[in-house]
Amino acid sequence: MDTNIKFNTKNLDLFYGDFQALKSINMEIREKEVTAFIGPSGCGKSTFLRCLNRMNDLIDCVKIKGEILFDGKDINGPIDVINLRTRVGMVFQKPNPFPMSIYENIAYGPKCQGMKDKNQLDALVKESLTKAALWDEVKDRLNKSALGLSGGQQQRLCIARTIAMNPEVILMDEPTSALDPIATAKIEDLMSSLKKDYTIIIVTHSMQQAGRISDKTAFFLMGEVIEFNETPIIFTNPHDKRTEDYITGRFG
Amino acid sequence: MGRTAKDSLVKGIIYLATGITLSVLLSIVGFIFVKGIGLVNWDFLTRDYNEKVVYAFVESGEVPLSIDEESLKSKQPYDQRYETLQEGPIYVENIGAAIASVSYKNHSTEREQIVISYIEKDSPLNGAIDSTGKAITIGTDYILQSINGTDFGDMTLEEVAETITAESGELKIKVVQPGGGIKSNIITTLYMVLLSLIVALPLGIFGAIYLTEYAKPGRLVNAIRFAAECLAGIPSIIFGLFGMAFFVVAMNFQISLISGSLTVAIILLPVIIRSTEEALKTVPMAFREGSLALGATKLQTIFKVVLPCAVPGIATAVLLSIGRVVGESAALLLTAGTVAQIPGTLFSPGSTLTVQAYYVAKEEGNIELACAIGIVIIVIVIVLNILSRITSDKLDVFNKK
Ligand SMILES: Nc1ncnc2c1ncn2[C@@H]1O[C@H](COP(=O)(O)OP(=O)(O)OP(=O)(O)O)[C@@H](O)[C@H]1O
Ligand SMILES: [Mg+2]
Repeated sequence: MDTNIKFNTKNLDLFYGDFQALKSINMEIREKEVTAFIGPSGCGKSTFLRCLNRMNDLIDCVKIKGEILFDGKDINGPIDVINLRTRVGMVFQKPNPFPMSIYENIAYGPKCQGMKDKNQLDALVKESLTKAALWDEVKDRLNKSALGLSGGQQQRLCIARTIAMNPEVILMDEPTSALDPIATAKIEDLMSSLKKDYTIIIVTHSMQQAGRISDKTAFFLMGEVIEFNETPIIFTNPHDKRTEDYITGRFG
Repeated sequence: MGRTAKDSLVKGIIYLATGITLSVLLSIVGFIFVKGIGLVNWDFLTRDYNEKVVYAFVESGEVPLSIDEESLKSKQPYDQRYETLQEGPIYVENIGAAIASVSYKNHSTEREQIVISYIEKDSPLNGAIDSTGKAITIGTDYILQSINGTDFGDMTLEEVAETITAESGELKIKVVQPGGGIKSNIITTLYMVLLSLIVALPLGIFGAIYLTEYAKPGRLVNAIRFAAECLAGIPSIIFGLFGMAFFVVAMNFQISLISGSLTVAIILLPVIIRSTEEALKTVPMAFREGSLALGATKLQTIFKVVLPCAVPGIATAVLLSIGRVVGESAALLLTAGTVAQIPGTLFSPGSTLTVQAYYVAKEEGNIELACAIGIVIIVIVIVLNILSRITSDKLDVFNKK
């Protein structure tokens, strides 16, 4: 078995009630790479992403068939979901900092895991904010509410919050779609620098973004993965006609 | 009829209706104030409802009158609606105070009595102690009944003054502190609010958490919601009857603070559940997802993220509840009783302000006193409303940027 494979899904089907949102997905996601998911709206990108840290547990009518192996272990089997989520972090489309101070936002996850030591927490907060390229902007207002930050800063805070858990994988669902171009550029820079430490999976509607930051790209359509390959190949030499149509904008 | 004519007709009706509503409301509040305001003062708030007999020990002295006869005469500190001056006042030097004879006439009683009408600044009465040596106050409307064992009984005012003047050394004076105060009712109301909230708040909040965060939407949840809504609409006398049958009789708690507060707690539950539920529902799903995605457990998510966001809503529920308890009469009448006393234990009876207002109006026909209590209740309700605005702004986590 290839030890570099982080996630491996086998014949993954997902149903919302009677509606099948994912159809027999087989995908291998490698460690310390950036994998991008593209595809038209409603094709199941978010649904698939949320399978990877079992966020779909929150939705009552979801049924899943097939396997999702994380480091070789099926995450829908008898595993500790809390532990899975500390190892597979998630950043959402809309920045969702908690209505507490910047410091508390970062310290929240570690505290929930039982970290109490003030010095340890202080160091972790600083390290995470630094890694998320936010430290310099907020170091003087750590105890102010996180809701006072700009949208871009809030999103970087959410990334910092995720990094503080020291996860192995970071899932990002359109993390820049609510941001302006400058904030977007900052987050893209951030992702490139995080790449060496973390496995990143990102959903995006921006072809350019996928092209700029990802190593591999998966094209989703109506719940199926049409094509999954090296990013340059997807964008310059797609094998499937439908991928080409989508890339070139001739599609829906 | 033209369109403009119709419009102005409708407009007129709207204005008229608003005017009538406003003036009715204002005149009710006005009536209560006019009727009751004469009785509202510090003594009213801090005295017991029942008259209290006190034995005061006083070292007699020699204090000359420092004001002229005219101004002494003008001092009539007693309640002039019930008491009319008959004789006096006469100033008595060895107690440094003036006494007067008044006739007292209330709805149920009529009598002549000797009252203190004026006390000099350095009167020995100001240093009065009780039999245990504790300092006590003697006020200017206290009734005098005896001195060193000599009862004033049928004496005239002059005779009383002579009797007092004849005494010297340590004086043992029997005075009656006038009643009519609502201290015990205020305290009972406070107890009632605290106890019922202690019971209803945790139950209501946990119930709401269960309904919004844990229960799978379906028949059961709908049934619980429906029940809560029905409970909210049932008149409180029904709860009173239940409380009487269950707490007072079946549980043998008697008519008491505990029976009353448990009954009120049941009345409060639906209010608290509803408003907490509303508050929890307004907390964005994104916070719950964000928290869970960080590896927090569901319980941690609820207590560290969701509940703090809901605090303003819960605070509003608490203040609404306090208003409910303060305003509750029917249920408490049946379960906590009408005894105007500070409840010594959980199992002693006591009457809240509202019940007392009912009691004095209905049983004693004393509308003025009832209105005076009404003023206190109105003030409490207004203060609560102002507080609820301030707190829900202050506690709002979304406000603190
Ligand atoms: N909670 C849900 N209940 C029922 N159906 C859902 C639910 N969430 C998503 N779906 C359906 O599943 C399909 C895939 O949705 P998903 O959100 O994964 O799409 P997406 O590719 O992320 O789209 P977008 O680019 O707009 O975010 C859609 O048809 C959607 O309507
Ligand atoms: Mg999506």
